Amino acid sequence: MTVTGQDIADYVDRVRAALADLPPAVRDELTEDLPEHLTEVAAEADGSLVDRLGEPEAYAAELRAAAGAGDPAAGGRGLDRRIAAARHRVRARLSGLDARLGPLLGYASASEFLRLLRPAWWVLRGYLAAALLSAILGGDLTLLPRPFRSEVTGLLVLIAAVLTSIWLGRNADRLRRWPRRLMHAGALVLVVFGLVLLVNLDERSQRDEFGYQGVSVGDRYDSVQDVYVYDSEGRLVENARLFDQNGVPIRLGYPWCVDPAQPDAALRTGYPFCPELAPFRSRPPATAPVPPGTNGGRAPAGTPAPSGGSVPTAAATPTAVPSATVTPAPTGTVPEPSPTR
Amino acid sequence: MDTTQLLKGVLDLAVLAVLREEDGYGYDILRRLRDAGLEEVGDASVYGTLRRLFAAGLLTTYVVPSESGPHRKYYALNAAGRDQLARSGKTWRSFATTMDALLDDRGMAA
Repeated sequence: MTVTGQDIADYVDRVRAALADLPPAVRDELTEDLPEHLTEVAAEADGSLVDRLGEPEAYAAELRAAAGAGDPAAGGRGLDRRIAAARHRVRARLSGLDARLGPLLGYASASEFLRLLRPAWWVLRGYLAAALLSAILGGDLTLLPRPFRSEVTGLLVLIAAVLTSIWLGRNADRLRRWPRRLMHAGALVLVVFGLVLLVNLDERSQRDEFGYQGVSVGDRYDSVQDVYVYDSEGRLVENARLFDQNGVPIRLGYPWCVDPAQPDAALRTGYPFCPELAPFRSRPPATAPVPPGTNGGRAPAGTPAPSGGSVPTAAATPTAVPSATVTPAPTGTVPEPSPTR
Repeated sequence: MDTTQLLKGVLDLAVLAVLREEDGYGYDILRRLRDAGLEEVGDASVYGTLRRLFAAGLLTTYVVPSESGPHRKYYALNAAGRDQLARSGKTWRSFATTMDALLDDRGMAA
């Protein structure tokens, strides 16, 4: 068996690896002409280098001892060595985990599966970069990046960022050391930003749900306490009643201004409950007589004094009311308004 | 008795001794030691010893280009090396005499 140059190079490499804890200068000096020496040893007789010289690690140990170089576990270099050993262990464990997780995903190793996801990461990276850019350029944290609050600009930035990210991903192998480190740092920033964006959008979507409830139909008239109906002449209609298209009475507000001493006032069915609190004053009676025959059935003159709450109701009869904008359906189910006072 | 244990103590002296008459390169020195009867001397031990003696300032080196093979680094004794050889040689002779006498007195010599 002849020893090839590759055998010698391998042997030298293993010796150097076993001396890795020494300062580089010392190690280089120790193994400087080892290849030449091994070439002579190899030319001496048949048999492999290991047969003749023993394992490279043993050779290295002998070399180290004879040369009086530091003991492997001595001093600060021992710490370096331990760090290197720990790193080696972590790496071995990670690769073991990689191989074990692979079958769960249906692949030989987890890293093989993750490699397939790389283009997806490039697209996501482009999106996150666009979102970050728009956030910096005065946009809000929105699902669609909107720099300067413009959707068109946002779309253009998004497309450009995604294409750039894909290009970068395809050409990352050519990057030198520092640009590559910069890229990794940027990725870290984008991942953190992405989490912030996610939490922000999630919170906002929950807030929107409550917002819909706030404007939902059931609550829209919460703030209505009373209803005031004015006829075409601008006069307040007393005792008006509201019905929907099915003849169901619409109940809004409550008689909050009614004197508790007169409980029957609370039973009043018409609006307004509190005519004395009308937001607009009725027109003065001077203008009232001008359109006498418009609808025929307007309230008798002299009634629209709004301040005197008791006056109109006392005179009111069912036929006197129809000038109200909402006229009660004259069906039998509607109780006849009875004078309350 | 294991010769390698003895060699550890005297390898420096042995290497200095084979360089006294003629400069040599690593493999050449190893062969000379073995030819002289130290067959058990280790390859890496000689190599490492040469490095250490050089680092201690007892040897000088020079590279000789070779037509047939790789360039060879030759080791040569310098003044300090010769000095060291003389002192170590004296120590060894005295030590060996003592050992011989010890062995003779007890009647264990061969």
